Amino acid sequence: MTAAGVALDALLGEPRRHHPLVAFGRLANRIEARFNRAGRGWRSHGVTAWFLAVVPLTLLATLLSWLPLVGWLVEIGALYLALGMRSLGEHVMPVAQALRSDDLASARQRVGYLVSRQTDELDAEAVARAGTESVLENGSDAVFAAIFWFVVAGAPGVVLYRLSNTLDAMWGYRNERFERFGWAAARIDDLLNYIPARLVALTYAVLGKTRLALRCWRRQAPQWDSPNAGPVMAAGAGALGVQLGGPAIYHGELHQRAVLGEGAPADADSIERGWNLVQRGVWLWLLVLCLGGLIDA
Amino acid sequence: MRQAVLEYGIAEDDWVDLSTGIAPWAFPLPEITARAWARLPENEDGLEDAARSYYGFAHVLPVPGSQAAIQTLPRLRRSGRVGVLSPCYAEHAEGWRQAGHVVREISEDEVEHFIDSLDVLVVVNPNNPTGRLLSADCLLAWNARLNSRGGWLVVDEAFMDNTPRAGLARYGVQPGLIVLRSFGKFFGLAGVRLGFVLGEPRLLRLLADLIGPWAVSGPTRQLGQACLLDQSSQQAQIARCAAASERLAQCLRRHDLAPQGGCALFQSVAYEGAERLQDFLARRGILVRLFKQDSRLRFGLPAREGDWARLESALGEYRKEHA
Repeated sequence: MTAAGVALDALLGEPRRHHPLVAFGRLANRIEARFNRAGRGWRSHGVTAWFLAVVPLTLLATLLSWLPLVGWLVEIGALYLALGMRSLGEHVMPVAQALRSDDLASARQRVGYLVSRQTDELDAEAVARAGTESVLENGSDAVFAAIFWFVVAGAPGVVLYRLSNTLDAMWGYRNERFERFGWAAARIDDLLNYIPARLVALTYAVLGKTRLALRCWRRQAPQWDSPNAGPVMAAGAGALGVQLGGPAIYHGELHQRAVLGEGAPADADSIERGWNLVQRGVWLWLLVLCLGGLIDA
Repeated sequence: MRQAVLEYGIAEDDWVDLSTGIAPWAFPLPEITARAWARLPENEDGLEDAARSYYGFAHVLPVPGSQAAIQTLPRLRRSGRVGVLSPCYAEHAEGWRQAGHVVREISEDEVEHFIDSLDVLVVVNPNNPTGRLLSADCLLAWNARLNSRGGWLVVDEAFMDNTPRAGLARYGVQPGLIVLRSFGKFFGLAGVRLGFVLGEPRLLRLLADLIGPWAVSGPTRQLGQACLLDQSSQQAQIARCAAASERLAQCLRRHDLAPQGGCALFQSVAYEGAERLQDFLARRGILVRLFKQDSRLRFGLPAREGDWARLESALGEYRKEHA
């Protein structure tokens, strides 16, 4: 069933119209308007609002997946809607293509649509670094984490994960109006990504330069400011044998970020190999699941 | 319109349609050559040049109505956080949501809170339906802040043709700034489906690729070119709209419905009885646009004296009944 969901995503990409998450967004806005009026919601309001937004739909997914005859279709459909694999590839590969044809201006532009930071003055290596980081990190939350929760808890699991992810994007602002109310959404999302992120780091390590990846994970991940992206990107960079992280400009200011990975500077190749790593990772997970299923039977 | 015909049982020709923000005087139509019908349209056939000189901006992309750009722009970016300055034409928020972005409708005084965490901010200027006009200074400052994180400011200037000096085109290419211009409203030819995107050339190329070839038909290209070059009709149109819009504002004020805002193509009235008034007018064959959510009516420009008279008398009756 996992394979079917992944295949649908690869074939169809994201549905253009009437994505159920659009309707969920409206619901979440209404809940927020009620519980965080004028930014006065507390952390506890954020917790209540999170449960109100997520629990009923997760229960609905549970009930639907229990339906006779069509339950399995519901399961596959839920995974398909939660996966963003093909869409990730569609946004990442143009960066590598532009770098390959020495079109730095296009590469900067395309990577800017991917990473939410100023890319006008990046050199080719910095563009490749940003692209590779993005594919490794997004691979984890847009692809592997969704599969993980599907495998653990079926349709309800993947629905729960995706809704939590969406709420983090909707409420996890770091500003006055959301720092209290949005706290729960951000923390819960971190929590739901905790195990998947480590499995992804392990997956990257297994499929690449294993030793280097494990060493980078151990030494560099704790220095990264995000608890889940750290292991994923450190292990990914190590697995590819490429150097990522390092200083970057955010909000017009230079930020000293930890160095991740080790080895050659990033280039178009590292983006493609990163994307390849994500894809091979998915195959590995599907293989492991099949074997697990066989042993189980 | 068709819905109103069915609902109120009044034939289409008997309506005074003030429900759109489209200029009620259509530009004279040029003769369309047989070639324009017979052959596939080509880029740079003169339309782009005409648009460059009309908008005063070096990089323009003709699109089949700005709606095409509204639906396509969101697909260029990986999903992120998008703010839409509200109240606002609903299609913007819809377009970004459908492409998987997280959309937040924010009011003007909330921009400060959110702008540094947004990937894209969408602004309709002058606003539809409120008519509020934001200053270029304010918009360029937002543009700079968004661009410092690689973000976009999308400004929909659908109602800017009457006040070209207030548009952002004259500030030249700004990284991360995308301006949408609409053709149908000012030129009174909304059926034509033509619009323009003004922005960085590289972005326009990506957008053009996504929209696909031959998006704007040959006859449309010829017609657009003629209208964009017809400066004397443009001056006349600006003067005519300004006079009518002022007259409309006065007329509404006389009937205790002072508009809170507006532009040269409509007046906007926030009024608690908006729904009742809309129905009252519709029963008398006058169609205005109701925005239920903020209890607001938008009045487009009447064209003929007969239309003015009907509006005057209907508003007068309403005032007597509900005084």
